[in-house]
Amino acid sequence: MTETEPALRHSPLYAAHRALDAKMVPFGGWEMPLSYRDGTIAEHLACRQDVVAFDVSHLGTVRVEGAGARALLQSTLTNDLGKIAPGRAQYTHLLDDADGSVLDDIIVWWVDEDVFDVMPNASNTARVRAAVGGEDVTSTRAVIAVQGPNARKHLAVVSSEAAAVGRFHVVCFSWQGQPCVAAGTGYTGEDGVECAVPAEAAPSFWEAVLATGVHPAGLGARDTLRLEAALPLHGHELGPGITPLQAGLGWVVSWTKPEGFLGRDALLREKEAGVARHLVGLATEGRQPPRSGAPVLRDGARVGEVTSGNFSPVLGRGVALALVSPDVGEGSHLTLELRGRQVPVEVVRLPFVEKKG
Amino acid sequence: MNVPEDLRYTADHEWARLEGGQVRIGITDYAQDALGDVVFVQLPEPGKGVKAGESFAEVESTKSVSDVYAPVDGTVVEINADLGDAPQRLNDDPYGEGWICVIRPDDTGALSSLLDADGYRKLTES
Repeated sequence: MTETEPALRHSPLYAAHRALDAKMVPFGGWEMPLSYRDGTIAEHLACRQDVVAFDVSHLGTVRVEGAGARALLQSTLTNDLGKIAPGRAQYTHLLDDADGSVLDDIIVWWVDEDVFDVMPNASNTARVRAAVGGEDVTSTRAVIAVQGPNARKHLAVVSSEAAAVGRFHVVCFSWQGQPCVAAGTGYTGEDGVECAVPAEAAPSFWEAVLATGVHPAGLGARDTLRLEAALPLHGHELGPGITPLQAGLGWVVSWTKPEGFLGRDALLREKEAGVARHLVGLATEGRQPPRSGAPVLRDGARVGEVTSGNFSPVLGRGVALALVSPDVGEGSHLTLELRGRQVPVEVVRLPFVEKKG
Repeated sequence: MNVPEDLRYTADHEWARLEGGQVRIGITDYAQDALGDVVFVQLPEPGKGVKAGESFAEVESTKSVSDVYAPVDGTVVEINADLGDAPQRLNDDPYGEGWICVIRPDDTGALSSLLDADGYRKLTES
């Protein structure tokens, strides 16, 4: 049913996923769970209404440490570490110096004064290491994301320290004598905590989390959740030829920090000239899922294309992110070409689904 | 994997049941499991002529889109309109409430050229 290539990497939780009867798929060089027995939609709704746990060990961890670590990251990545401090996390971009394209979008966990865990997307780890050096410690740990409005309540049963970490804060904690790191981050649009646990302790940590009544969720739900929350996925909303400004992520770019960042000149040129396209949200009237690559038309003329699309389990209709001409604004009525059929869509405000409370 | 003995199957994972000169069609348990949660079904128009092996409907899950191929030549006489609001019936009950349409075949004998349960089981296990 799924294609498996010989070189696929396995998470420390691989055996646990097999035991839970997960459907495994190749993703970014890893073999990871797509869904478990309940299926993607049930897992999605459980995250919106209650709590789920994801194995996101395929995210890279590049540890950059030492006296020069902060200066190196500050002059390379787009966001401003001056806005945060040790014990905090920050979303940031690594740009192509030549054209300002997003080479990767990254979460930086500022673990301790001179210790940074830089977390790239699975397949971009080498690219990020080429820019910031550091040690690839990905295979030494698992990362378990506990997400949903009840995430902290359940995680507190396993570790009260991890469960208490603030939004975009980072805390070191010990679990069964093992040194772990927790961050108040995630990729679902819900509250939650991501825990980095040493590989050998990871299966028992995962089991302890599930034992509190947390259901596991796979990459399928992770994708529909992040889409509803309008969170970008590298290779779709970000990537070669796509800048942070086109993706509507200007807030990730610090123009004022004196250290600058890779790609600043190119990005400044785009800022001054104005973007050639921008990211918008589209909603269909029916259930048919828009798919990435689908042409977006206005009065029969092509104005852009879908970067990600799917069925929204919360809204009960199709939603999509699309890169379109800058003159296409909210409320516009457009057409998608889906498998030879014309499907009407409206440009709607993002995110599609907002966090409650 | 559930493969009822009384049905006929295609190598493309459709099932066909002869019901008094007409053929009811759906996708198999194996197919629904491989697709994952079905969120949309593009049904054919009643009255549409179909050719064996040609796509006449589409089933979309959160993961992918899949064509549904006609098992025999014929004409669509009935569609399962309930799938419009409840496409998950394809997952919950692929051989029952998740049926897709009924075809009046040009030749009811054509069904005998399809796989039987044993043949289909072997196909999915290979």
